[in-house]
Amino acid sequence: MDNDFSKPQRESAFGIVVMGAHTALQIAKGTFFIFIAAFIQMPITTFTYLLLGIAAILLISIFFSYLWYLNFTFFLNKEKQEFVVNKGILNKDQLIIQLDKIQQVNINQNILQKIIGVYGLKIDTAGAHGEEVSIRAIDETSAYNLKEHLLHRTNAAVVTPEIKHQNHLTEEAPFLKISTWTLFKVGLTSNYGQSLGLLIAFFYTVIYEGRQLLDAFKINKDEIQSTVAGMLTIISVFILIACLLLVLLVINLVRTFYKYYELEITRHKNTLLLSSGLIAKKNTLISPNKVQITKYSQNYFQKKMNMLNLSLKQAHFGQSKKGHEMQGNTLEIPGCNPTERDELLKMILGEAPLFGKTFIPDWRFLNLPIFFKLILPVAIFLIVAFNVAEVKPYMGIAIGYFLIGILMIYISYRRHRISVNQDFIIKKSGIWDISNEIVMPNKIQAITTFQYPWHKGVDVGHLSLHTAAGQIHFKYGNYTEIKKLVNYWLYQIEQKNEDWM
Amino acid sequence: MSADSLFTNETIDLDRLPKYEEILLKQPHPDYWKIICINLTIFFGILAIITGTLLLLADDVKRQAIWIISSYFVLLAASFLLFRLSFKKRGYALRKHDMLYKSGIIAESTTIVPLNRIQHIELNEGLFSRMYNLGSLQLFTAGGQTGHIRIGGIAIDEAKSIRDLLLKKLDMLENPETEA
Repeated sequence: MDNDFSKPQRESAFGIVVMGAHTALQIAKGTFFIFIAAFIQMPITTFTYLLLGIAAILLISIFFSYLWYLNFTFFLNKEKQEFVVNKGILNKDQLIIQLDKIQQVNINQNILQKIIGVYGLKIDTAGAHGEEVSIRAIDETSAYNLKEHLLHRTNAAVVTPEIKHQNHLTEEAPFLKISTWTLFKVGLTSNYGQSLGLLIAFFYTVIYEGRQLLDAFKINKDEIQSTVAGMLTIISVFILIACLLLVLLVINLVRTFYKYYELEITRHKNTLLLSSGLIAKKNTLISPNKVQITKYSQNYFQKKMNMLNLSLKQAHFGQSKKGHEMQGNTLEIPGCNPTERDELLKMILGEAPLFGKTFIPDWRFLNLPIFFKLILPVAIFLIVAFNVAEVKPYMGIAIGYFLIGILMIYISYRRHRISVNQDFIIKKSGIWDISNEIVMPNKIQAITTFQYPWHKGVDVGHLSLHTAAGQIHFKYGNYTEIKKLVNYWLYQIEQKNEDWM
Repeated sequence: MSADSLFTNETIDLDRLPKYEEILLKQPHPDYWKIICINLTIFFGILAIITGTLLLLADDVKRQAIWIISSYFVLLAASFLLFRLSFKKRGYALRKHDMLYKSGIIAESTTIVPLNRIQHIELNEGLFSRMYNLGSLQLFTAGGQTGHIRIGGIAIDEAKSIRDLLLKKLDMLENPETEA
């Protein structure tokens, strides 16, 4: 299938299966606990009805997918440089994407797609509504062909030879490869927060759904509660916490391996191809000039192991995108070493960023966090402690909290820096994970400066740079210097009229 | 050509660059204060009705009546005062290459949107605004919710002319050959 996609075409017929499985899975996810509850409480005779129900769901999903397949066509309009998708079963939708608005093209393969031997192709755009196209089943050559067509729109005339050339490049050795051992180290040292969130979400669902099940079976809740309470001696609490930490680490490792297994970055002419994944392989193609903020971060352990995490943030348009889609616009490259980082930065930013003149915040940076995060809560705690006898023995905790808090706030103050030179703005921040965010002045969309009236006398103010991928703040800086910088950046933005994506 | 020498070269220029902080800002139309007052009055009117019904109906609330009523009036006075202060602080300016808007209730913040970063422009006329021939102008950038400015209380004719001017500028930026 070596066509140029200029005629409307359907996706691969296997798409029916993929789409059907997807729909069935969605329905199954939604009704999982109802099914379990029904399954246990039900007399045998109705069991057949249950089976019939499942069969009906499957049939409906396949029928629905068939209709979807019939109505889903796509083609490339060369003259207008547009990608057009027609879809919809009852209401027909036509989706038109201008090629230069495409941010990245993902080629994925989940288990089912792997078994059938097709690929899924997703197009991310910077459109104001964050709409995206997803083609669920397409064979490999077509997928890569289409991708090249989508991302190399500039020279429509010489497209064919170039594609061949590009395809050869794909086979070439990647310039960055994350080994299994590095990945293991990454899993041990980063993203605790996300894993913790996952764990909490998991326990929440289990407890919530478990309760509903208990209600459904009319099991005596008090019995369970007393058993649980009996188990909770101090020693077992410690064991429990240790187990939880272990589970956290394991989850972290599994997540890291699942997402970043065999991470490879290949350089194409104007684009970077990232591929990774353990079970579902994910290929992402991005063009460096669409990256808005480049960020690398490192914590203490990672510093000792000489590695860091790099992430590339692309434009997202706030509220219309759901949370998980917004994360999709940040590409993470964990576990590179400093040389690889510099190589990547050079590729994305054109040259390795140099730290220029560094600006540091005023000591008043410390005031608000110390007051609101330390003095206020500790004061409230102490007032409670002096009045309630049961809390009194725990007063030592307040001192510990206060000291650790002071230390953390002081570290965050010492790390809060912004460094500016002609081509780059580098914002450094963090307490444990120390991150450097790099922005080029031409990516700035708007600038806000603000100042509290009581800081007027001491010439302290704040700065926010709004970019399409989020904000960069610099707080409690010298206001005169900030104003100078703002004037300088405005000059840079307005003088050159450069594209920001 | 090291980066250092280039940067120092620019620092000399820095002082000669146009300074956004020294621009004379245009205040919103005096009638806009009336609109703010109308909005505040409506808000506090509804609040008064709700608290009033609560005070009459719920016995528990009745005992705290003095506190509730006095805090209501403190809130009322404080909002009028703060809005008045912030109204005095508001100001906007259109330069050749960017638009400035200054505002703030307590902190004084200035947002600057370069014209070549504007995504679209919106001119809104509310019900009360129309009575006083005012409008509010919004400039959106790709910076999302935070990177956009909304200038309320511009005389409608002026707002329209600013809008047309901006549109013309945007058009010129899109087709640079006409710019020269």
